[in-house]
Amino acid sequence: MEQQQWVLSSPTLGMIFVAGSFILFYVIGWYSQKRAKASTDYWTAGRSIGAVTNGLSMASSYMSLATFLGVTALILNLKVPFVYMWIQFTLSIPLITLWYGTPLRRMGAFTPAHFVRERYGLNTSYITVIFMILIMVMYALGQMIGVAKVFEMLFGFNYNISLIFGGALIVGYIAIGGMYGTTYNAAFQMILMGVAFIIPLGAIMKAMGGTGWYFPPLLYSDMVPAMLEAVPDFFDMKYGIKWYAALIPCFTIGAMGLPHLGMRVYTASNLKSARNAMLWFTFFCGITFSATYTMGFSGVFFEATSGQTIVPTDFDKITLILNSVYNPAWVLAFVIAGAIAAGLSTISANLMAIGAMIAQDIIATIKPNLPEKTMKVIGYCAIAGGGAASILIALDPPTFLVVSILWAFGLAGVTVAPAAILGVWWKPANRYGAFVSILVAGLTYIIVSPYVFPNIVISTGLQAKLGMSGSLLCVPLGFFLLTTVSMITERIPSLMARIPVQQDKILVDKIHGWADYSEERYNSTQAGLIIAGISLLLCIWAVLPGGW
Amino acid sequence: MNSAYKKEIRYTLIFSVLLLICGHLGLLFVAFPSLQNKMVFGFPSQYIIPVLMGWLGLMVVVYFQAKLCNDLDDEIEALNDSTGHIR
Repeated sequence: MEQQQWVLSSPTLGMIFVAGSFILFYVIGWYSQKRAKASTDYWTAGRSIGAVTNGLSMASSYMSLATFLGVTALILNLKVPFVYMWIQFTLSIPLITLWYGTPLRRMGAFTPAHFVRERYGLNTSYITVIFMILIMVMYALGQMIGVAKVFEMLFGFNYNISLIFGGALIVGYIAIGGMYGTTYNAAFQMILMGVAFIIPLGAIMKAMGGTGWYFPPLLYSDMVPAMLEAVPDFFDMKYGIKWYAALIPCFTIGAMGLPHLGMRVYTASNLKSARNAMLWFTFFCGITFSATYTMGFSGVFFEATSGQTIVPTDFDKITLILNSVYNPAWVLAFVIAGAIAAGLSTISANLMAIGAMIAQDIIATIKPNLPEKTMKVIGYCAIAGGGAASILIALDPPTFLVVSILWAFGLAGVTVAPAAILGVWWKPANRYGAFVSILVAGLTYIIVSPYVFPNIVISTGLQAKLGMSGSLLCVPLGFFLLTTVSMITERIPSLMARIPVQQDKILVDKIHGWADYSEERYNSTQAGLIIAGISLLLCIWAVLPGGW
Repeated sequence: MNSAYKKEIRYTLIFSVLLLICGHLGLLFVAFPSLQNKMVFGFPSQYIIPVLMGWLGLMVVVYFQAKLCNDLDDEIEALNDSTGHIR
């Protein structure tokens, strides 16, 4: 077999396409932000975004550089189990909208931490904000590094210069545009990345002899017999039931805790528009994800049938390699611009979440009466600060970076999701329960990961590195602690006298749209006991050996 | 009021289950290995059924989720108006 190291042969076209797309991002950002009248509009786009634009920007914020690079690499490594891991990501926005997105939009929240502050008080919101910022920085960090590597490849600068130069360009257009600019840019970036990914893929399939090239996301069954002959284990499921079950707490509930996704729902012009946006999100996400599986499939097919071996360090370049082999240079340049757009849309959503949390959830809480102009300056500084932190960490990235983004999903599922879900749907959830749940479950998740104390883990291998084994324990632990601590403290009058219980309960009815208050709604002790019981059983199952 | 509240809880639970089914069909195939390796549309069943349900199946569920939840919002709003509350 011939082994070929892949390098970009003609970078000029790539530079032209990337420079052109950056100019467009700045123009869109500049013109969009002019619609912002108040500093709060800066974070929520004036709550004026229509369903299609919002659906596009939701999908775009969610699809990162990994869609173009990392996913295909992991399909080459893990094959079908990784496809399962990716399929469930499309559930995020529908579940967020169903469980807490629309109630928080009704409340007028800026971030999920804003809700935590109103529902559980200041102390709990500070811990939540710290965890959320950590999650968002880890998320943005991976994208920054990816974009810097593409810049390094294109412009020939060294990594550090590419990172600082690329990072500054990115932070600039996000700070200028605010949520208006970020949203319209993200919608444009989704179209760009969709076209740049799917149409060239059709040409690749045609060149490979595939007859379903006119609809790459689904029509490649004619390549299956050759694939089964060349790679007989491609469709094998490989792992045990615990592995597949752990996808739910880690990535499905994890995605529900990601603040930058929740914030997309809050930009909707109204609740109906937010719900219609999730339909568009499902369409755009589904078509692009399905094309990603086709690209991964084509990569494995190419390696198995062409006689060329792709070295493992080039696995994440499979999209670029296939385009360089089968498509003209200008198409490859367009694909690179699409990949960068995928990275930028995610970084912009991450930085907007960091900025909103610093400006609205921390500074505006401590100093509530700051003038409008000062709040705008704080907003710019918060975004620039978040970007600078990501760039600085990316100069010397942590060794577990490859999986850190996926591990961050688990942390979001452990710390944010139980508090948000039960806070919206279960009145007995109180400040003590939420504080203990977020702190204990969050720290436990960090401790049982293989990165802090390698000897204290509940599993090893891929499921531990990705945070799946940690989430299988800590997400139910979060629900268990929140329900049991709340139910116990509820029976201690001296503790309850210290917190505004009635005010917290009234908030629950209000965010569901009820104009009057009824003690009966969302107040079932039985529901709390059922959640606590199921959570405890899941915790026990998580720590039992085997099943992976 | 009580029926709208119960409907809200019911919709949330039912749609959660349906959404989870759409996104996690891999669990079904690992729990029942005999369902694997049946060819569907030219692909092994354990591959194409989760892919299709995770996209097109999900779109159908999400369509009904949006429609029914929007209708429920209208119902709650009408109830609020009928009880004389100004929001």
